[in-house]
Amino acid sequence: MATQKQVKTGSEQSSDLEEKLQKLRDLYADASEIGKTALENVIRALKSGAPAKEPTARIESAGRIGRRQGKVSELTVIVPLAPGGAKRLRGFLEALHGSIGNELVDRVGTVHDMRFVFLEKDTKLLFCTAYDGDWDAYIEDFATKIPDILDLQFGDTEGYPGIRSPEIKDFIVSHQITADFWYVANPNLTVVETRRLQRIGNALEEFLDKIN
Amino acid sequence: MSFEGQRGEEPRHGPAVDLHDIQATVMRHRPEPYFGSHLFLHINDAHGGGEFLRRLAPHISSASDWWNSKDPWIAVAISYPGLVALGVPEDSLQSFPEAFRVGMAARAEKLRDYGVNDPKNWDLPFGSGQIHIQVSIISDTEEKWRRTMETARQHYQGFSGVTVLLIQDFGAQPDSRNSLGYKDSIGQPAIEGSGIDPLPGQGQPIKAGEFILGYPGESGVPLAMPQPDVLGRNGTYVGLRKYQSRVGAFNRFLRGNGQTDEERELLAAKLVGRWRSGASLTLAPTKDDAMLGEDALRNNDFTYASDPQGRRVPLGCHMRRMNPRDTKTPVLTDVNIHRIIRRSTTYGAPYDPNAISEQDDEDARGIYFLFISAKAMNTLEFLQQEWINDGNFMNLGNERDPIVGLQEEGAPFTIPKEPVRHRIHGIETFNVLRGGEYLFMPSLSALNWLAGLNAEAVKR
Repeated sequence: MATQKQVKTGSEQSSDLEEKLQKLRDLYADASEIGKTALENVIRALKSGAPAKEPTARIESAGRIGRRQGKVSELTVIVPLAPGGAKRLRGFLEALHGSIGNELVDRVGTVHDMRFVFLEKDTKLLFCTAYDGDWDAYIEDFATKIPDILDLQFGDTEGYPGIRSPEIKDFIVSHQITADFWYVANPNLTVVETRRLQRIGNALEEFLDKIN
Repeated sequence: MSFEGQRGEEPRHGPAVDLHDIQATVMRHRPEPYFGSHLFLHINDAHGGGEFLRRLAPHISSASDWWNSKDPWIAVAISYPGLVALGVPEDSLQSFPEAFRVGMAARAEKLRDYGVNDPKNWDLPFGSGQIHIQVSIISDTEEKWRRTMETARQHYQGFSGVTVLLIQDFGAQPDSRNSLGYKDSIGQPAIEGSGIDPLPGQGQPIKAGEFILGYPGESGVPLAMPQPDVLGRNGTYVGLRKYQSRVGAFNRFLRGNGQTDEERELLAAKLVGRWRSGASLTLAPTKDDAMLGEDALRNNDFTYASDPQGRRVPLGCHMRRMNPRDTKTPVLTDVNIHRIIRRSTTYGAPYDPNAISEQDDEDARGIYFLFISAKAMNTLEFLQQEWINDGNFMNLGNERDPIVGLQEEGAPFTIPKEPVRHRIHGIETFNVLRGGEYLFMPSLSALNWLAGLNAEAVKR
């Protein structure tokens, strides 16, 4: 196996683990009894289980801000809304992703998911997404290809300069918060690649159906 | 007329961009044949640097008659350390984009310049911060080039304000072919307001602001511009990349995957999307057509409408990656905002089809690429990340550009075919990066402003 040489010897791995577990125990010294008991249970399970595998993709930076794992990056934004903004945005999102459909977003081809959550009595917006590539690779493309969709999605946030503005990237950065931890099941699968594999899978099943 | 592509026509519409203030190289295509030199200079002190620019400024050609490349011309560009050395005020320095200020070497991660392309392997003086000014001299005859070089020499020789770090001659290649034996620089973007109708196949002209500072870009608004206005307006940026061509590896790859000369030449065409002559596989799918390759009115006149699967021009070939035209990509992309003006200058020994040794890979020969755009740093990073060192946008997974990509061991190249695609494994990095710089190409008025900075300071 290609990763064989990176795997540490058994004794190195166990002393690493002991050190990490001791740190965790120190952290949980002040935790509730529920937390302490749970930690000990987890530690016992870890020790009796199979040795840890190397992660398939390391966590790195998505560029200017945010995290990236393999080919996928994360973006979390919390931004104040203009008065009445939440009402308008709810209406627009319902129309866009409900009755109008997701074709427009599907066309982007780099967005795994998007989440809009209204916070603090509709005064703030929490926006989260997982997407392919670096932080700013396609922002300019949004500005020329689907500017109105972006301006409707974020036009009611305070201080929003417009997707075409040269200030747009600084605006996003000023409200973006990098995740402390983030799990990605398939860090090496882009949206495009996932769709391709789906097509291949379907074609293969169809072929197998036909030959017997 | 030395370059047929420009047809020597007078402008049909009044130019909307200020051609008189823009440097000629931004608009003017490289002549064929071509002869020239790149000079890389270090400024010793602010006063000397200013004086050098003051003497040089009257010799820098404007783009006012860019379609005429009969006379040799000189271009000048300045790095961020160069602007610092010239004594540009701090608030003005801070108005330049971050990628430009830190320089190309410091952006290696964003540019995916890893491994053999890592700046630590670059040739000096690239990436060292020593390069302050790049002066380029370009001509259509050897005699005029030498004469202009002599004029230039008189300017810097015995002048203590600047030191010449490197002089790199280029051009003078048989048939103007590049270091891998292809005709290049076909298919430049057409710029709106440049005064001449686009060539067939160039597509709709792209907004001038994508290439020159101070004009609206494709999104309708001008890009952020360095301040003061006189410094930024009508200027642009240059991303310089020095490539060493590994001709031995390239020829070994062709021989290893083609039995006959015909098969090898077809493979060579599949890698680029064009035959060596410049003829596109769209128009000449089975064999080279030298007449077509020559003809600037025909060699770029095509779309991919009849070739969506890439059976003629592979989806992953160099030409289709660098300009997907009407290809339906699975990722929402505006092709117009990722185009860049390319000024390719080949240096060193001509391409040798019989060079197959590893020693041949190290023969000094390759290309100094000048990528010109009002957002050159941004565009280069996008191209390196998305269109060169990835295949996602063309449904090709991890596959990379066969000509300028940085290949990993066993890397594939896919040639679409009926009934099933042919995939070659073990493509290598044929062009290795050996240097790079980000430079600012000022307008003629900005050049005078820069030259006057220190004179004013002394007066005060």
